Order: sequence, then structure tokens, then C-alpha cells
Amino acid sequence: MMKALLKKDLYNLATYKASLIIIILFCGIAIIGTDAINIAPAIICGIVGMISLSTFSYDEMSKSNRYILTLPTNKKELVREKYILVIGATVLGGILGMILTIIVVNIMNYLRTENIINLDYQSLIIVTIGGIFAISFLQSVQIPSIYKWGAEKGRIQMFILVLIIVAILGGMYFLINKANINIDMEMINNFITKFGIMLLIISTIVMYFISYKIAYKIYKNKEE
Amino acid sequence: MENNIELKNVLKKYNDFELKNISFNVPQGCIVGLIGENGAGKTTTIKSILNITKSEGTVKIFGKDSKKNEKEIKEETGVVLDDSFLSEYLTAKQVNSIMKDFYKNWNENKYINLLKQFNLPTDKLIKDFSSGMKMKLKIATAISHNPKLLILDEPTSGLDPVVRNEILDIFRKYIEEDETRSILLSTHITTDLEHISDYIVFIEKGKIIFDLPTDELLENYGIIKCSKDDFTKLDENDYITYKKGKYQYEVLTKDKSVIKNKYNLMTIDKPSIEDIMLFYIKGEK
Repeated sequence: MMKALLKKDLYNLATYKASLIIIILFCGIAIIGTDAINIAPAIICGIVGMISLSTFSYDEMSKSNRYILTLPTNKKELVREKYILVIGATVLGGILGMILTIIVVNIMNYLRTENIINLDYQSLIIVTIGGIFAISFLQSVQIPSIYKWGAEKGRIQMFILVLIIVAILGGMYFLINKANINIDMEMINNFITKFGIMLLIISTIVMYFISYKIAYKIYKNKEE
Repeated sequence: MENNIELKNVLKKYNDFELKNISFNVPQGCIVGLIGENGAGKTTTIKSILNITKSEGTVKIFGKDSKKNEKEIKEETGVVLDDSFLSEYLTAKQVNSIMKDFYKNWNENKYINLLKQFNLPTDKLIKDFSSGMKMKLKIATAISHNPKLLILDEPTSGLDPVVRNEILDIFRKYIEEDETRSILLSTHITTDLEHISDYIVFIEKGKIIFDLPTDELLENYGIIKCSKDDFTKLDENDYITYKKGKYQYEVLTKDKSVIKNKYNLMTIDKPSIEDIMLFYIKGEK
């Protein structure tokens, strides 16, 4: 069933084929024109990850979930498939971005021997994982919002939720500063260097997991 | 006769609408028409049967509890919904590729042959199909895994008479192929049912008004056309409802032979299902 559901969404997403190729080409050109070569994987995984969410709009337009629930599947599989699609698209976007960066940098180095770019693979990986983390945060908030309020309203609600979260984090930072609490930045930096990647990966998995549980709970009680 | 669908006291409450103790059967080898106005509760009944909406009461399909054996039942059921399908941005070819992963018994050859029979293009997006083509595709998709039961929600609404006739022929052939099959067909176009249905279930405001064999309905019911004087002579128990016209009264009776024997009334017309429905909805008593 999962395969059938994934196929349906991938066929729908195939309509984005041309736009996706243009975006990737644009990113390639942007890498050539800027020093911030490491940012491409984050941008591409962001775009691909967010495009995958558009399948919710396709479902809403055709009221397809109502029909799909008459087929041998259930709400749990429907929600699970969306997460597999979205996570898959985001990770694939990140990997695609990394490969694109490596290819473009190598071509540039081959063509411009006088201006060699030293690609820092470690920071490329960190930026990619950071990009995946940022997108996974947005998706983890957005998917349950879509199940709750629908594809269109869900987007607005998501921005409101993100704003609230940013405001809370900003408020905490402000309060810490105001209370003159001394934070050992060196210790934090060391911690990030040592455990940063691991922490981002674990946080991403935990966020998706919590988000899936919430989304399923919402959808289970929703009328189609 | 075994039943492919058995509904017992199905109840569903919304804020502004209630499905009240719906009970009826869909026997094997039969086409059952579910009729009623828009908003009468036909779709909610179908959604309850298909477990799309949570409702109280018992729904048995092929003798099994519809909630406990959901996947197993759905493997043997084909569904057509008027306003919903996989996606408008797919082609008929892609639908085949998706559906064969949904159903264990998906028959690709049958599907391709049905597309040919219905003159449906395989590589055109569904959104560019006409209403008739879309409905034919939905029907081809619903019957290509050889289901024992077809549930159709408004399959002929918005279609021209030629296409409607073609579609009704498909249902007729489907039921003739195997006597264990059944069709539950919800519609507000009652003329479609007069020729193909075996039973009619009439729902009004979430309640079943009648559940009768189509022949009995068309043969026994009658519309008496009479004067005010003749109308006043009628016993209230001998008719269902009446409509007061400018020059005459029109009265719906369950049994025209009783009326013929009891009263000296000459004009008793044979009603259509639509007439009967309208008398129940608009008539007075």
C-alpha cells in the first residue's frame, strides 16, 4: 500500500520536474558566483523538502484521501507515507545539493586553475545536516498543521507557530541576558564541535517522530 | 438469499444533521438504489458503510464486521465517489500503475480493455477529461479487481443521457457476470433506477422512509387524481400523502388495487420513482 501511495505522490510531483531542474541549475550558477559555496545543499534540500509538501494541496484539490480510504489502506498508512515522502525528499535534496556543490567546485577548479577553491568537506556536511534540521523543523510543525487546518490554512498557522517559537526562544535569550547569567560560550562551542552533528541528527529524528504522532492523532479523528 | 451488505441501526450525529437508525440489506445478485434529496443522508450512509466516518450501529459486509475486517473487505469492494478520485494530475496509465499496488487481485488486462472499450486515452491527464470520461475511468478503476461489491455514490450525476445509459449498461453487465455480486447505487436521478434496480431504499432527513422491491413500488403504488368531494371520501389509512392542485387532488396510495375495489375512482396513474419521492417530500397528510 505504501508503494502505491508513494507512487501517487511522486506522479503528482512529476509536474514540478521542470521547475526543479531550473532551481538546481540556478543554484549551480549561484555557487559559481558566490564565495558561500557551502550553502547550496541547504537551499536545495529546503526547496525539495518544501515542494514535497505540495502533495497535500494535490490531495485536497482532488479530495483524494476520501477515495483512498475506500481502498485497502488506512489513515495510519496515509500519514506514515507522507512522512516517508517528506523525509526522503529532504534528505535526497541535501545529498543532491552536496553532489552539485562538489561537481561545480571541481569544474570551476579545472577551468580556473589560478583561483582554486578548497572545498571544506566537513563544513559542507555540517551545513547539509543543518539545512536538513532546519527544514525538518518547519515540516514537523507544518504537517500536523495541514492535517488540522488543511493545506492552505495550515501554511498560515505554521508561520504563526514558527513565529511563536522564535518569540519564545528570543524571549529566553533576552531574559538570560537581562539576568546577567554568564554563559560559557567556549564550552558551548566545544560541545557543538564535538556533538553538533550527532545532536542535529537526533533532534531531527525526534522532531519527525513527535510530529508524526501528533499528525496521526489529529488525522485519526478527522472526518473526510 | 445472502446479503453482501447488512446495516443495522446505523447512527451518525453531526451538529446540523443526524442519520437515524438506518437499517437495510443489499442481497447478493441485486442492485439496490439509495435515493433521496441532496443532503438527505445518502453519502453519510455510504461513508458509514465504508468506514470513512465513525458511526454507531452495525455494518456487516460479506457477513463480516466492517470495522474489524476493513482491509479484507476493501479488497473485495469497488467504490466510485462522485467528487473524489486519486488525483486530477494523473493519467489513466499511471492510475493502473498505482492501483496494481493497492489491490492483490488487480487485473491489468481487464483495466486496459475497459479503457479501450470506453475510448479513454491512456496518456492524457485526468483533469483534461470530460465529466463522462472521468466517470468511466472511475468505474473502470472500481471494477478491474473483480470486486464482489460495488458501492457507487452519484455515478450518473452531471452526465448526459447517452453516457448515463452507457454507464448503466456497464453496471447491468457487471451484475450479470456473477450472481454473488451486488451494487449499492446512490443517486438523486431516480429514472436511472427504474430499469436496473431490484430494491429501492428511500432516505429523507436521515431516516429511511421505505425499503421496497422496485417492482412492488412501480406496480402497486398509484396516484389517484380526483375531485375535492372524492378526496374527502377517502379513508386516511388508504393513502400516504396528497397534493392539492388548482382543479383536482393528487393522492399517493401504496396499493392501487385496494383503492380500485373500495372506491369508485377511475383515474389512478402509475407513478415513477421520482413521483413517489416527491409525494413523500412535498405531499401533505
